[in-house]
Amino acid sequence: MKPFHIILLCIAGIGIALVVSLYGNTTQYVVFPDAKRMAQENPGKDVHVVCKLNKAKPVIYDAQVNANRLEFNAFDSLNNECAVVFTKPKPTQFEQLEKMVLIGYYEKDHFLANEILSKCPSKYVESPPKIVRQ
Amino acid sequence: MKTESPITYFNGEWLWLGNIGHSMAVIAFLAAIMSAVFYFWHEKTALSRDLVFAKRLFQLHVFSVIAMFVVLFIAIFYHRYEYYYAWRHSSNALPVYYMISCFWEGQEGSFLLWLFWNGLIGLVLQRVAKNWESPVMVVIAFAQIALSSMLMGFHWGEFSLGSSPFDLLREQRPDFLEIPILGQMGVENYLQLFKDGNGLNQLLQNYWMVIHPPTLFLGFATAIVPFAYSLASLWRKNDRGWIPFALIWSLVCVGILGLGVIMGGFWAYESLSFGGYWAWDPVENASLMPWLIMASAAHMLIITKSTGRHVFTSHLLVQLAFWLVLYATFLTRSGILGDSSVHSFTDLGLSGQLLIFLLAFLALALVVILQGKQRKWALYSIAGFFFIPMALAYGIETPEKLELFYQWLKGLGTILFLGWLVFYLYLLFQRTKADLGDELIHSREFWMFLGSMFLILSLVQVFAGTSIPVFNKLFGYKTAVPTAADYNRVQLWLAMPIMLLMSLGYWFKFRETAFSTIKKPLFFILLASIGITFLLGYGFAIVGAKFILFLFLGVTLVLSNLLYGFKKKKFEWIRWGGNITHIGFGVLLIGVLVSSVNKNILSASREGIDLAPEVDSKGNQDKKGIKFNRENQLLYKGKPQQLKGYTATYIDNIQGVKNDSIDKYFKVLFVNRDESGKILDSFVLMPKTQNNPKMGLLAEPSTRHFLHKDIFTHVGYESGMDRKEPFSNFRLDTMGFYKPFITQTGKVVMRIDSIIRSVNGDGLSIVLTVKAKRLQDSVWLRPAFLINEKTGSFNSIPAEDNRFGIMISILNIQITDSTPNTNNIRFVIQSGEKTPVWDYIVIQVIEFPWINLVWAGTIIMVFGFILAIVNRIRKQKQFIP
Repeated sequence: MKPFHIILLCIAGIGIALVVSLYGNTTQYVVFPDAKRMAQENPGKDVHVVCKLNKAKPVIYDAQVNANRLEFNAFDSLNNECAVVFTKPKPTQFEQLEKMVLIGYYEKDHFLANEILSKCPSKYVESPPKIVRQ
Repeated sequence: MKTESPITYFNGEWLWLGNIGHSMAVIAFLAAIMSAVFYFWHEKTALSRDLVFAKRLFQLHVFSVIAMFVVLFIAIFYHRYEYYYAWRHSSNALPVYYMISCFWEGQEGSFLLWLFWNGLIGLVLQRVAKNWESPVMVVIAFAQIALSSMLMGFHWGEFSLGSSPFDLLREQRPDFLEIPILGQMGVENYLQLFKDGNGLNQLLQNYWMVIHPPTLFLGFATAIVPFAYSLASLWRKNDRGWIPFALIWSLVCVGILGLGVIMGGFWAYESLSFGGYWAWDPVENASLMPWLIMASAAHMLIITKSTGRHVFTSHLLVQLAFWLVLYATFLTRSGILGDSSVHSFTDLGLSGQLLIFLLAFLALALVVILQGKQRKWALYSIAGFFFIPMALAYGIETPEKLELFYQWLKGLGTILFLGWLVFYLYLLFQRTKADLGDELIHSREFWMFLGSMFLILSLVQVFAGTSIPVFNKLFGYKTAVPTAADYNRVQLWLAMPIMLLMSLGYWFKFRETAFSTIKKPLFFILLASIGITFLLGYGFAIVGAKFILFLFLGVTLVLSNLLYGFKKKKFEWIRWGGNITHIGFGVLLIGVLVSSVNKNILSASREGIDLAPEVDSKGNQDKKGIKFNRENQLLYKGKPQQLKGYTATYIDNIQGVKNDSIDKYFKVLFVNRDESGKILDSFVLMPKTQNNPKMGLLAEPSTRHFLHKDIFTHVGYESGMDRKEPFSNFRLDTMGFYKPFITQTGKVVMRIDSIIRSVNGDGLSIVLTVKAKRLQDSVWLRPAFLINEKTGSFNSIPAEDNRFGIMISILNIQITDSTPNTNNIRFVIQSGEKTPVWDYIVIQVIEFPWINLVWAGTIIMVFGFILAIVNRIRKQKQFIP
């Protein structure tokens, strides 16, 4: 074994360690009941939840009371409902979002999201032509 | 089945334009094939006639590509919305300088741009590659075949080859011909409905977006040249002559790609509201990956050139860099990042083709490396192998009953792919290995090699994280992509050894150096760096051992390269390239450190703190309010609000209609006073929100640049977005010069101050200036009344004020006397009232200290690259006259 090979092995070792630690740290896309269970085991660890807004219930945001608090209810992909608190201003056109990914964790009686990734449906919309009359 | 439309002629279409475009696409495709064939023959037979044919055919190919470019531009410039691409990506209001941006909003346009750059690179190679021209150009032409096939747009039933930018709107969207009104107008007149296009993404309507994508694409395109040289060398049975050429081109690639990546960061910083220039988004990572590996490859090539060592690693890295370019294209263009990236692109159904593109190059590499009988077997296996990815790719929409079969096929395909890869690497190693004995620790090549390895380690982490969506898709996992913090935590530590090696490496000579000869300067650098780090650490207010260590290594890197340059190269600037590049990199990393570690959210507030825990999950006090995002503050119009360091006052908002959207600029005054109340500095920022019918509301930040810091702000919310309380308590009455108007509740009294009459195109407009008074407060309102003299119709534009909770609108005008005196005019006014509200905005304000170091470092780096490239070319010319 030449010293050079030892160095190569060390580098490979670091590489594997990097990948393992990265994958060990990643979070999963989960549903709300799982998020609740995971919060008991490991409070405060972020998870991702793909969900959509419950439009039947009110979306509460009053910037004059607290500009950093948005409350709403959402359904996950298995239709479990959960109350969500988001700690930033209300995203634009929030009521029209078709799908969103919440990043955060469950605590007490709600899901505390510190990030919402959203794909605005209109982003890719090809709108039919505006009728131009001659 | 759709019934065939009986109409064959449509009015007003410029079909000839698309026909030229389509023909050019076919010519480009065929010329690329023929050129590749003739270059191939020339390499085999060395007949000069073949070379002439090959050259001319490639030039014809480039000409057709440029013609396609021009045709598409004409379609956009003349608003020919019968073409789907023009309709989809542009609009009438689009200024000419943004029309060029339409080329990278769509998939086909981007491929066209890539073809264009590759074509130009090919023309350059025809002039400079000398005796390497034919094998290298075979690879380039091969890439052009693959790329131009993606623009063919041929359809045979279910199967389609590429997607053409010259497809007609009515072909792409046959549903548009079924719009009911066309029944009356006649379907053949459908173009009369399409007077305007769908428009260009607002985020691309930015000057940085005019130059960032083509720079990045040029960087991507240049990555093919070292790859082509590597294959050419393998083809010529491991000929070593490729190294200096590949080295020059790899430097070109690293320089341009690096510039393109940072330009993207600068664009994000200037026009997106996430508050930073780098977010480790998969799309950003995709462009960083080839850069990391190409930087590593360039160093490896220098080692090989100087010592003859690591030929295998040079080949491997150069090829890997190109594959990562293809992989990046696949990631960003196939729609696979859909859920995980904020700015991913749509899927045009090209993912199958992209996959084949990727595999085709691996196949080409394998064929090149094999010789004799082996090559024949490889060709058979490839022919068999291609069937599988094709089935895989086109079977994305799996029929349910075949699910199991497809799963099995995918598994087989993956195993075959990996088997291939291992086989290829084994062969590459066998062909290129050279045993030159042990490497010495006192040699430059050893330290450079180590540095390259750390760059690769950095890549390994980025690659692992960015590929998660691919693994999810392949194996059905549900893993989320890592957060920025996951990357930062590791990359911080990986950057440190890289910086250390960058400062040490130069002091060693190739092969062997006695350590005693360089002990003195290294010791001096160590001492000086400690001193400077102490000063800078104090000045930048860096706290924390790892950050101070990082700063120390950055300082060492800059200092060491400066000293080495002055000692060895004196004022022969042309030889400074490498050192200047390293200095720039050091400055950039110091800038990254200072601007992110000491990033200060000036608007962080502790209001409503009971809503989120004070202590985070690890028991750390949430001092900065970052974890729980109490980062935004509410500013009432006209009421100063104390932030950290500055008092911010929301003064006013200005609305402007631009193109097809409404921009709202918010004027915010920032004042910084010292303890005695003296104003230290004050400035106005104008963040804006843009209400765009296609994309909803976008926030664009506004930044004040100082030499030593930036103050960045953006609007997260504004009172205009609140659900509006409707007006009530309406009252109808007349108002005249001597007849004030009192609202229903009696709280507001309004008087006319002046009347402005003006004549515009269709008629007359009358604007009233009304002074509304409520208690001691007053406000001006300007309702307008438009009379169209042609049609006799009129239109009223009401005025409202939220702070007064009042609205007035002119319903009619009465003239009580025949003498036209202002005293005799009465306005029929309707007023409405609601609860008064103050206008407000919610803003985030961030201070980025010393962020200019990031940009300065980039500029220094680019300058260094230019010097290095010029110097290498100069040396090469001396070598081969």
